[in-house]
Amino acid sequence: MAQNPDARGAAPDLSVQLGPLRLRNPVMVASGTFGYGEEYADFLDLTQLGAVVVKGISLAPRPGNPPPRLVETAAGMINAIGLENVGVDVFLESKLPYLRDRHVPVIVNIFGNTLEEYAELAARLDGVPGIVALEINISCPNVKSGGMIFGTDPAMAARVVDAVRRSTTLPLITKLTPNVTHIGEIARAAVGAGSDMLSCINTVAAMAVDIFTRRPKLANIFGGLSGPAVKPIALRCTYEVLQAVDCPVIGIGGIATATDALEFLLLGARAVQVGTANFIQPAVTAEILRGMELFLRVQKLQSVEEYIGTLDRQCLFPFAEIACGMTDLP
Amino acid sequence: MSKFLEEALILEQREVAQQTYRLRLRAGRMAEAACAGQFFMLQVREGMDPLLRRPFSFHRIHPGEGNIEVLYRVVGRGTWWLSRCAPQTRLNLLGPLGNGFQLPRNAGSPVAIVAGGIGIAPLCELIHRLLASRGTLEARDIHLFYGARSAGELLPESDLEDLGISVYRGTDDGSLGYDGFVTDLFRKTAEEKHIKPSVLYACGPLAMQYHVARWALEHRVPSQLSLESLMACGIGACLGCALPASAPAGSTADHYVHVCKDGPIFGAESIQWHKIQTHGAPPPIFLYS
Ligand SMILES: Cc1cc2nc3c(=O)[nH]c(=O)nc-3n(C[C@H](O)[C@H](O)[C@H](O)COP(=O)(O)OP(=O)(O)OC[C@H]3O[C@@H](n4cnc5c(N)ncnc54)[C@H](O)[C@@H]3O)c2cc1C
Ligand SMILES: Cc1cc2nc3c(=O)[nH]c(=O)nc-3n(C[C@H](O)[C@H](O)[C@H](O)COP(=O)(O)O)c2cc1C
Ligand code: FES
Repeated sequence: MAQNPDARGAAPDLSVQLGPLRLRNPVMVASGTFGYGEEYADFLDLTQLGAVVVKGISLAPRPGNPPPRLVETAAGMINAIGLENVGVDVFLESKLPYLRDRHVPVIVNIFGNTLEEYAELAARLDGVPGIVALEINISCPNVKSGGMIFGTDPAMAARVVDAVRRSTTLPLITKLTPNVTHIGEIARAAVGAGSDMLSCINTVAAMAVDIFTRRPKLANIFGGLSGPAVKPIALRCTYEVLQAVDCPVIGIGGIATATDALEFLLLGARAVQVGTANFIQPAVTAEILRGMELFLRVQKLQSVEEYIGTLDRQCLFPFAEIACGMTDLP
Repeated sequence: MSKFLEEALILEQREVAQQTYRLRLRAGRMAEAACAGQFFMLQVREGMDPLLRRPFSFHRIHPGEGNIEVLYRVVGRGTWWLSRCAPQTRLNLLGPLGNGFQLPRNAGSPVAIVAGGIGIAPLCELIHRLLASRGTLEARDIHLFYGARSAGELLPESDLEDLGISVYRGTDDGSLGYDGFVTDLFRKTAEEKHIKPSVLYACGPLAMQYHVARWALEHRVPSQLSLESLMACGIGACLGCALPASAPAGSTADHYVHVCKDGPIFGAESIQWHKIQTHGAPPPIFLYS
């Protein structure tokens, strides 16, 4: 492809400041879609990533839900993995060192059944080299106890964040669920309780059925929808959260291209996480970064910070340019 | 073993049985690296529908020619799209994935192979590898039990009989060969002909694999069953492809294996069969809408 003449010149600065956290670029991978990093090392230079958010970790290992655990739907998929994970001990001993040795900033997604479990997990991860932040998962739709209830009630959300805040000095990101009426309220509660940042969204509660067997397609009946199908919901949620709070927000949901990622940044998200798209193109994040850099060059912007949050909220009719000057018509 | 992405080119696509196609792909690196029983994730189409890649076995691997063959059945959107792809179409492959079949250590003794429907796909490459490395084993001591729902779904006779192996065919509706399930055909024939395999290989629907597993455990014959699950990533990242497994050290707690990275080949003893709920027959008709 011929290089656009506007696209030459110095490389734009992709680094972003997220509260206390500085990242080399705004593109991370979302929890649960990138394993513990190693799984993707054959396809991607992991050091290119802004950060790796690892699969949700609990104190004790969890086996997860019975299968079938996933199903594809139009432009998306529904999963009911049930937070299967190796537990914090195995994570620290045999998963984290791989990423730490490669100098990849690691964000640990944490999950507990009780406030005490959240607090204990946060304490165990505090001060561990290689971990740059914790992402508090208060929004998983796939577990019976805890999980969802923490994320749908502002008071409960605040108590979880408060418990974690007291147990660690690490920067905290609270991951919000879209499965609420007013996401802004939960956002405010989390920030009020000490969350440095917010990320949104987790998966959207969903269901699929089979007309032949006349049964649900997931053993768990419900699951979480992700992939391109959820992007418009994620954009709306991100917008609402940005209206409600004044802290860095990380956009997640259906991001598969540089355009998708730039849409979240335009709203004011300071970073993004790429989830389901990793399954389809394991090196998709590298492509997103390349596209983002090209876009900034074409736009003659020196840094991504200049672009973040530049949305003009006035919407114009798409053919407005042509309509201009036609006032003399009846 | 490292895995990679490869852009493959369709050389030929042919309908070889009812709703069943054989695809020949130019994929030099994949052909060089893959073993019998492994699989790859295929992006059937760029775009958002179908979104996820689909897992397919290596039906034949031709490292010398830089080709692989895929045998697949049209069951839904992804495989339907695939069946519309003409020669020269490019398809993106991610592989080779999974553990693959182990060839028997005891090269001289007979082996039994049970194939249900499209489950024949990976077993063809296995049969060729067995033939190539069989030591003192006669071709006819490779016993293939091959069943499908109906005659039209079976691969044509010459494809397998020409190899000189012992082939026993059956159909669920009795339209060809043994009238009934392939597992019954296998059980009956093994008894009547005193076939005592040193290894039992199988691929097919889970309900069939359950009966094969029971036979293997009853007769204490080591088995290698190629199992299926729904997959999103194929590389152990999403944890979607779980099957209930026998828990370590006899514990009764829930324990799962992941078909993409622990399998797809498992011994009968490693799966907790009674915890798998299958609904038996696939959809009676295929609706594309
Ligand atoms: C390791 C492995 C190797 C495979 N090798 C082959 C092969 O060589 N040839 C071949 O034809 N098929 C193979 N399959 C099955 C193949 O992946 C599915 O048939 C395919 O994904 C269906 O895609 P679709 O879009 O057409 O169907 P969808 O529209 O996604 O689904 C249609 C129907 O097919 C069923 N289905 C979907 N995925 C699977 C699956 N993984 N296993 C069983 N049923 C499924 C669905 O439950 C549904 O009833 C393999 C599967 C695995 C896990
Ligand atoms: C298979 C799978 C597993 C997931 N596991 C977790 C998890 O453990 N913790 C978490 O906070 N989010 C988890 N998520 C949600 C994702 O991190 C992300 O929020 C969601 O998938 C939306 O992004 P996407 O549309 O780009 O996939 C999971 C998503 C998928 C698809
Ligand atoms: S398919 Fe993702 S872990 Fe097996």
